[in-house]
Amino acid sequence: MTANIYQPINGEVVEIIEESPTIKSFVIRPEAQFKFDTGQFVELTLPGEGEAPFTPSSSPAVTEQMEITIMKAGRVTGLLHECRKGQPVGIRGPYGKGYPIDEFAGKEIYIVGGGVGLAPIRSLFLTLVDRIDDFKSVVCRFGARTPADFIYKETLFGQWQKLKGVQMKLTVDRANGDWDGHVGVVTTILDRKDVDIDNAVAVVCGPPIMMKFATVTLLEFGFDPKSIYLSMEKNMSCGVGKCGHCMLGRYYVCKDGPVFTYEQISKYPKIWD
Amino acid sequence: MERVFISRLKPFLDAVAGKMDLYIPHQVGDHVVCKRYDPEASAEVEFNEIRMCTPVKEFLFPLRELAAVFPEPVEPEEVKPFAVFGLKACDLRSIEILDKVFTDEDFKDPSYVARREAMFTISSDCSAPGESCFCNILEGKPYPESGFDLNVSAVPDGFIIQAGSSKGRNLLFTHAALFGDVPDALLAERKRLRTEAQRQLAEKNAEFRLDAPVREIVEGRYDSDVFDEVARTCVECQACTRVCPTCHCFYLYDTKRKDYFAKTKMWDSCMRAGYAEVAGGANPRRVLGDRLRHRLMHKFAYFLDRYGIDMCVGCGRCVDAEAGDVDIRVVLKKLNDELADRNSKVAKAAQ
Repeated sequence: MTANIYQPINGEVVEIIEESPTIKSFVIRPEAQFKFDTGQFVELTLPGEGEAPFTPSSSPAVTEQMEITIMKAGRVTGLLHECRKGQPVGIRGPYGKGYPIDEFAGKEIYIVGGGVGLAPIRSLFLTLVDRIDDFKSVVCRFGARTPADFIYKETLFGQWQKLKGVQMKLTVDRANGDWDGHVGVVTTILDRKDVDIDNAVAVVCGPPIMMKFATVTLLEFGFDPKSIYLSMEKNMSCGVGKCGHCMLGRYYVCKDGPVFTYEQISKYPKIWD
Repeated sequence: MERVFISRLKPFLDAVAGKMDLYIPHQVGDHVVCKRYDPEASAEVEFNEIRMCTPVKEFLFPLRELAAVFPEPVEPEEVKPFAVFGLKACDLRSIEILDKVFTDEDFKDPSYVARREAMFTISSDCSAPGESCFCNILEGKPYPESGFDLNVSAVPDGFIIQAGSSKGRNLLFTHAALFGDVPDALLAERKRLRTEAQRQLAEKNAEFRLDAPVREIVEGRYDSDVFDEVARTCVECQACTRVCPTCHCFYLYDTKRKDYFAKTKMWDSCMRAGYAEVAGGANPRRVLGDRLRHRLMHKFAYFLDRYGIDMCVGCGRCVDAEAGDVDIRVVLKKLNDELADRNSKVAKAAQ
């Protein structure tokens, strides 16, 4: 009998963390151990309601449970935001290709993130930090609309800033409260001297408009299109390269991505739409 | 047994129907559809000249089917063996294409695999091309050469049945008493009829002949305005993707039943405006012309890259079905002419 590729494994929401006014993290405990590579995604089912693709935001080193950070953006995510602890869920996956971190060894890793785009980046960040000596440095440039819109505030403003081998700079589009950091969109805190471009890779994840301008900036700095890794947001449904929804040119984002280099996808129009 | 002769179809099909459910062509108004064969009710069986309206995908990948049940998984119902009579060469090619997608080595679709294994294919030669047939433009032929269990060719005073698989040979062997030998003269006649069907097809489609491989044409004219132009005559009925025997987009939706949850798989269409839209509202193919371009690129370039075969068989169902005025033959021809025109300008400039 052929295994059923559409069968979710059962899981349960064991904790819900309010990250920002529109974003929550859900700690999910699957029935069985669940392994994934950082950057891969899963299809999360709210039983009877619908399914949507998310990249886990937790470290792949943890297999008993995973965290998924979700912004309220549509019907399914809206319903997920109404869920409480103990909510049964279904998980399919993991799917696609994540970040090729072995290829990042010995390099500087320049991570540009914005808004809920910090979710996949958190998983990557935790993976990199676990073996920080393998990389020359991890340089992070993160942005949010306002200070309240930053997710993972506690670690982001605290522990992560102090990690060995990590440099971090944050910015907000609009300051308020006691924010005394930088103000401006994330591209305003990018500097060509942040990393040694010839020995660096860039990772970009965030809202499409931010990814577009960050990519343009990185190209201007002299980054090779092959060294810019983009996490593409599409409406992956089947997860296995059949249903067609997530096609980006010749690629199935679910199978060939969701992480692509800019070189792979730059020839297609409207990649940021 | 490789090849046999029979003067009437009914005894042969009764023999098939004695072993499994059989579906046959059936004329309804102007169309030939596929219906379940009832040996009692039918005095004789119609021989369809060209492909039926029904795309063969309906048997392998139904419009709507249960994909998963949870939290407690349920074993799927066993698929009983079934046979379809009246498939044409283009239909067999569409099965080959769907096999690539659903029996792909990474992820096999369990329901497709089960239906595919249960299916017995009885194809037949096309006697004359239909109004919209254009398989020859895509290097197809109006008669099957492989991919069938049995193939039927109409010849004077009867039919030649050719086996194409061990399943087919076994069936002929089991019912050997029904059949006679095929005289060489009839084989020569089959060859003549096939050549004649090919000639008619070539003559009918002369105006749509392409000067370069289709991939080269669609990739070379990727930026063409033709897509937006033809979009003006498309009414977004999505019929083209429904009747297309190779289109296989689907979506999964969740429902709550009395004591379980279900995931259902249902056909979707890349021509639908919201097809590629994400939760935040972004949509890379909001514009209809972009969707038409994507559909053609998928059929003639992307699919070929991935699986080594075109995703169009030239059956012309989309031409017949659609409510607007988009004719894939005309679109390809326009792109072909644009490319030829550009190439000749480049050549002149180089002189």
